[in-house]
Amino acid sequence: MASRKKVLLKVIILGDSGVGKTSLMNQYVNKKFSTSYKATIGADFLTKEVTVDDRIVTLQLWDTAGQERFQSLGVAFYRGADCCVLVYDVNSSKSFETLDSWRDEFLIQASPRDPDSFPFVVLGNKVDMGEERRMITQKRAHTYCQQRGQMPYFETSAKDNVNVEQAFEVIARNALLQEESEEYGGDFSDPININLDQDREGCAC
Amino acid sequence: MDEIAPEYDVVVLGTGLTECVLSGVLSVKGKKVLHIDRNDHYGGESASLNIEALYKKYNNFQPGEEPWKKYGRVNDWNVDLVPKLLMANGELTNILVSTDVTRYLEFRQIAGSFVQQGAGTRATVAKVPSSASEALSSPLMGLFEKRRAKKFLEWAGSFDANNPSSHQGLNLNQCTMKEVYDKFGLEATTRDFIGHSMALYQSDEYINNPGQAKETIERIRLYANSMARYGKSPYIYPLYGLGELPQGFARLSAIYGGTYMLNTSVDDILTGPDGRVSGIKATMQERGNDDATMKFETKTKMILGDPSYFPGKTRITGYLLKCICILNHPIDRTADSDSLQLIIPQSQVARKHDIYIAMVSAAHNVCPRGYYIAIVSTIAESSANHHLELQPGLDRLGRIEEKFMGPPIPLYEPTGDGTKDGIFISKSYDATSHFETTTDDVRDIYRRAMGEELKVEGLREGVEVAE
Repeated sequence: MASRKKVLLKVIILGDSGVGKTSLMNQYVNKKFSTSYKATIGADFLTKEVTVDDRIVTLQLWDTAGQERFQSLGVAFYRGADCCVLVYDVNSSKSFETLDSWRDEFLIQASPRDPDSFPFVVLGNKVDMGEERRMITQKRAHTYCQQRGQMPYFETSAKDNVNVEQAFEVIARNALLQEESEEYGGDFSDPININLDQDREGCAC
Repeated sequence: MDEIAPEYDVVVLGTGLTECVLSGVLSVKGKKVLHIDRNDHYGGESASLNIEALYKKYNNFQPGEEPWKKYGRVNDWNVDLVPKLLMANGELTNILVSTDVTRYLEFRQIAGSFVQQGAGTRATVAKVPSSASEALSSPLMGLFEKRRAKKFLEWAGSFDANNPSSHQGLNLNQCTMKEVYDKFGLEATTRDFIGHSMALYQSDEYINNPGQAKETIERIRLYANSMARYGKSPYIYPLYGLGELPQGFARLSAIYGGTYMLNTSVDDILTGPDGRVSGIKATMQERGNDDATMKFETKTKMILGDPSYFPGKTRITGYLLKCICILNHPIDRTADSDSLQLIIPQSQVARKHDIYIAMVSAAHNVCPRGYYIAIVSTIAESSANHHLELQPGLDRLGRIEEKFMGPPIPLYEPTGDGTKDGIFISKSYDATSHFETTTDDVRDIYRRAMGEELKVEGLREGVEVAE
């Protein structure tokens, strides 16, 4: 088979502050979890190479960098996303109730060509806190996702590494499908690389 | 709603490019930054707007009409408010690379750089010759003049400020550019395109200023070196428009702990008994919920911001005239370039200031295929009939689908340098066609505010961030 173009998939992770967006990314890419919460400082994007149906793709996971705290993510953040991950905390009703606003905000800002088929994946995080703390039942979350175009739903724990790998497998697969469906603008020249000295991309530190 | 810290090292007002570069740099250097904008989007005066927002900004339609609908999806449009391009070898490119903000942006070349000679129906439009070999094939000069221009460009290319033997016997610290042109025997029309389309001076004042020759030569070298970088023109441009630039630097700031608040109006700037700034009072408006506001107060000893936040602390230095035009064809006599800069030097059309045309298109993801966005601009020289001042530029465009032209835009500069009150104000985006003066302003503000020179090289090296 002819070698295909290297695929870079942009995945953005949205949801209220403190639901564990950065922790999920870190658990998935670095297999690390830190209990000390800091409103995100320093996480830029993390990249990970994965195989989807024999194709090697690079997932580029974009963190909000804390700009979601005061609803101040700019349109540039959303541009060209291939999949949008919506995260809430199963122990916080408010973080669940704002999922719709995040989804709407994404659709307005990113304005995908076919909003109905754009892939979202919903993660209910922090299932490790115990049933007594839980505010949103699995059933309620499932119903919510069903009603909005059957968004895939996972219950995760970034802390105990529950379902994280499985969720990102689906995220990668759906992002790749999206990327393949939109190929357009092909006859313009490739963007230029303005990094003078050498190609510095691929740093996932 | 999350907490605002009781104190910040720096509060920045307005998310234009100048402010965002400063926020980014200060955050990387460990300052605690709060960055506020009254608008619900980034960019202030250097934003890019979608076509619906553009119509609404210029109020270019009758009530009940929705003329933007005939232009496709509104979000496929990103129309710059500031007509500028990046020099491939310029300082903004250097800052972008040094800060790794290039990770968030993609660039394409601008396809051509042109200059007009003559006016009206007899005007010639030609590529700006930037190298000795291009000079020899340029239609802008006669046979003998070409050889003189070739000699001049070869000399400028090998010029080294620190090596007097490369100065052709001229004392460049004291002589005028006129003396340099005389030395090479260049004709007036050649001086015109060299000074205006390569050195990018907007008027002829530079010619007779003693000591300005060196700066002129450096500008010509910047143009030629930028040109040599990618080949088609000295300019590059970010995909989705210039409005992406401030957002890239805002993200850099956020990654290093900067706090961002859009939709937030400044109610009061507080000053202490010593006359220095001590804090701000502001109100954040929750998006999509007119009733939800959050008032807060925080301390700071330093505020940076754009002129619109400091009425009474700025003066007007001139007025910029600008007309944004939507076309459905490339510009005549530019080899169907998908993007370009075209300069009409002032003397060619009996003016004191040049007329600039900057055009971008679908090649830069700023509009749907088949459309072109051209901005014609100049410095106002009269107090009325501004449309006529831009006319030679508009004439170049051919058929225009839509024009957006507001009143003359005042250009502000601060009246104080900020050292007394702790308030450091940026300048308006000027009429130059590139960002070199913007980065000069960034450096100037940084020097005044921090008391040291800004060094961007290696800025992020050794700075620990991610956990």
